[in-house]
Amino acid sequence: MAATSPNLSKWAIASLFLSLLWSCQPALKEEMQATVAEEILAPEEASGKFPYRRLSTYGFFEGELAGLTPSESIIPYQPASSLFTDYALKSRFAYLPEGEKAILAGEELNLPLGTILIKNFYYPADFRNPEGERRIIETRLMIHEASGWQAYPYLWNESQTDAVLKVVGSEVAVKYVDSQGEEQLINYLVPNKNQCKSCHNKNESLAPLGVQTRHLNHDITFEEGSENQLAHWMKLGKLEGFLGKVAHPSLVNYEDQSQALNDRAMAYLDINCSHCHRAEGPASTSGLFLTYGQKDPLKLGVFKTPVAAGKGSGKHTYDIVPGQADASILLHRMNSTEMGVAMPEIGRTSIHAEGVALIREWINQMK
Amino acid sequence: MAKRIHHSLEMIRSLLLFSICLLLFSCGTQSDEQTFDSSNLRRATPEEVDALVEAFILAEDSSTIRIPEGFYELKTQLILDNKTAIRIQGDGMDKTVLSFRNLKSGGEGVKIVGKDITIENLSIEDAPGDGIKAQHTDGITFRKINVTWTNGDKSKNGTYAIYPVQCKNVLIDECIASHSKDAGIYVGQSEDIVVKNSLAFGNVAGIEIENCDRAEVYGNTARDNAGGILVFNLPGLPKGDGRKTRIYDNDIIDNNHENFATSISDGPNGNTVTMIPPGSGIVLLAAKEVEIFNNRILRNKTYGVAIASYQVTGFPAEAPNWSPYTTDISLHDNEYDRGSWFSLPDLTRELGQLVSIYNAHGWLKTQDIIYDGIWDESLATSIDSNPMRICIQEPSIKDLRFTRFYLMEGEDNIDAFEDYATFQSCKPSPVGLGLSSLPVLHSTTR
Repeated sequence: MAATSPNLSKWAIASLFLSLLWSCQPALKEEMQATVAEEILAPEEASGKFPYRRLSTYGFFEGELAGLTPSESIIPYQPASSLFTDYALKSRFAYLPEGEKAILAGEELNLPLGTILIKNFYYPADFRNPEGERRIIETRLMIHEASGWQAYPYLWNESQTDAVLKVVGSEVAVKYVDSQGEEQLINYLVPNKNQCKSCHNKNESLAPLGVQTRHLNHDITFEEGSENQLAHWMKLGKLEGFLGKVAHPSLVNYEDQSQALNDRAMAYLDINCSHCHRAEGPASTSGLFLTYGQKDPLKLGVFKTPVAAGKGSGKHTYDIVPGQADASILLHRMNSTEMGVAMPEIGRTSIHAEGVALIREWINQMK
Repeated sequence: MAKRIHHSLEMIRSLLLFSICLLLFSCGTQSDEQTFDSSNLRRATPEEVDALVEAFILAEDSSTIRIPEGFYELKTQLILDNKTAIRIQGDGMDKTVLSFRNLKSGGEGVKIVGKDITIENLSIEDAPGDGIKAQHTDGITFRKINVTWTNGDKSKNGTYAIYPVQCKNVLIDECIASHSKDAGIYVGQSEDIVVKNSLAFGNVAGIEIENCDRAEVYGNTARDNAGGILVFNLPGLPKGDGRKTRIYDNDIIDNNHENFATSISDGPNGNTVTMIPPGSGIVLLAAKEVEIFNNRILRNKTYGVAIASYQVTGFPAEAPNWSPYTTDISLHDNEYDRGSWFSLPDLTRELGQLVSIYNAHGWLKTQDIIYDGIWDESLATSIDSNPMRICIQEPSIKDLRFTRFYLMEGEDNIDAFEDYATFQSCKPSPVGLGLSSLPVLHSTTR
């Protein structure tokens, strides 16, 4: 894990030193803000012209911003399976403009113009107490504008009072205690604006990933109790066309051990890989397609040779060798943090041990 | 096929181990040559670097992104997304250097998607994955860009230096690509391509055209790679078989670099390029309609030109919209030189071993032209009718070493023939894409 990288610790020490320096010299701090930060942090009016520079300007949340307490105007949502991003936890909300609704037709969920998807990335100080103290790193907005979807990353400040639009990306050193009680240090990478499309890419247009029928067609807990999310949206008058759970596709939660192994593995690959590895995605070049419904063994990688994998292939010949996870390129690339080897190419700097274990088991039981 | 050959070769290989030790000079060469030293350039400030990243993100159509002289250390990717008519312009490949040594995420240093994009006069160094990738772009020009890796240890280098894929109207002109672990200039699944006046050296493969339609490759130098120029069709890709490539007026010389696509202890993996024996001039693999003429194919120690079917890889050879055979090849009027007598063919790769041991002219003899002789048996019962339409019309053929192998019965019955007459009698059908037919040369935006 990146935690042990000497560069990183150097960086962490340097930034610590720097922050100490700053805190000792309030005059300097003010001056810096005056020249660099003030323009960004100046009060901002909610003009209706997006993007705003500050997250708080949108008025999504009530009370202190860091509480992420949703206002009436936004709906919480959760995909059945979640994309792994260095163990960051996420809270997600959708804003649909007053009087507008989403239209569901078959699998297609069409969101109205003006829709804003809000995704907050945070780390609890201690994963054994996920509701406890936490640090929010970034909030990504996807706004459905007339010209199509746009992605805007907002970086939270140290004091957690607000987040500002930062299109060039950033790095944040994050410390937490994991679910095993081990201290972890992660060099969290905030993507630059255009990197968002490395994943959110459908035929070279930006597109939502989690807010799709198959990812939302399941029960979650709302304040009023547990309910299918799409049914809930119907009830709120924010959706039409939902004909009940079985009438539409749905994915399982790959973490749910009571589900069939194949369903869990395919759900995992779908949410973590298929945004690129599908006919409409940027990794269509590879011929490796990892969408949930993929039935063609060759397209799934079974005895498929790589194309442009370069050193990503390691010592291996095929993407998947049934029964031999450790001879399969797919697992090799999931199980690496080396640039040029690690998949997905962005969004993680650490290995998702649970995901690797799931895919290993899946390949090993293949015949 | 290759698997079966493999076993008989195993024994012979051990016999040959002794000679390998003696003949160290038969091993691949190495190169860490740099065209210039970027370490003396002015370091761009972090603000300048951020401004550059922002310039890519906020670029407006029909604008120029100027990148003044300096060494830019980037920690994030430069991505130009869905823009039209953008010119990305440095101050010269030895003046403006984009270094991705500290990149922490992303598959390539620079990524371009759009229409009518030109990138020129700069260098790209040390990207962990690919140097520059253009995808889904109609009209992409790379001009006078240099893409390289500066690691002494080349095992850390990235995959492709210049990498247009799923593009149309691709022009690569006066570029330099070096030290990539796969192909320096790699054009994949694209249409209407010109690669000209460029230099590829120190790569595993110099220039590779893969699953492409209508490519003109001329006036280039491919030297000191493991393989000089490759034309491949791989199975199972969205774009099936590519057709029509012309390779002419190129210098394809001294391509004797070791194949560092994998470490020596590991040997080949599933990447086809890992199987390329050092000492390969031109390699055709499952290629269709290729014309190769007026090239200088000099001092490539294993062979000048290899005409091969996909079966030699030993990988599954069935896929939709694709055939494993190499067909409709015209090879004419090239200049050959096998190099000095002590330059021995490769022994590190199966194809090298096949040449070294089984060629029709004697052990360890460099070949000018080899043909694996694998044909589609549904079309003909023997190769005598030249069913794959391989046309070889070299004026100097009498002085050349030509080998046609017979591999269709596997390891027990490998044979080789030096008779070229079968492949001379055919009339080469010109590949028929005159330069003037390529829209890439006529676009007004270049």
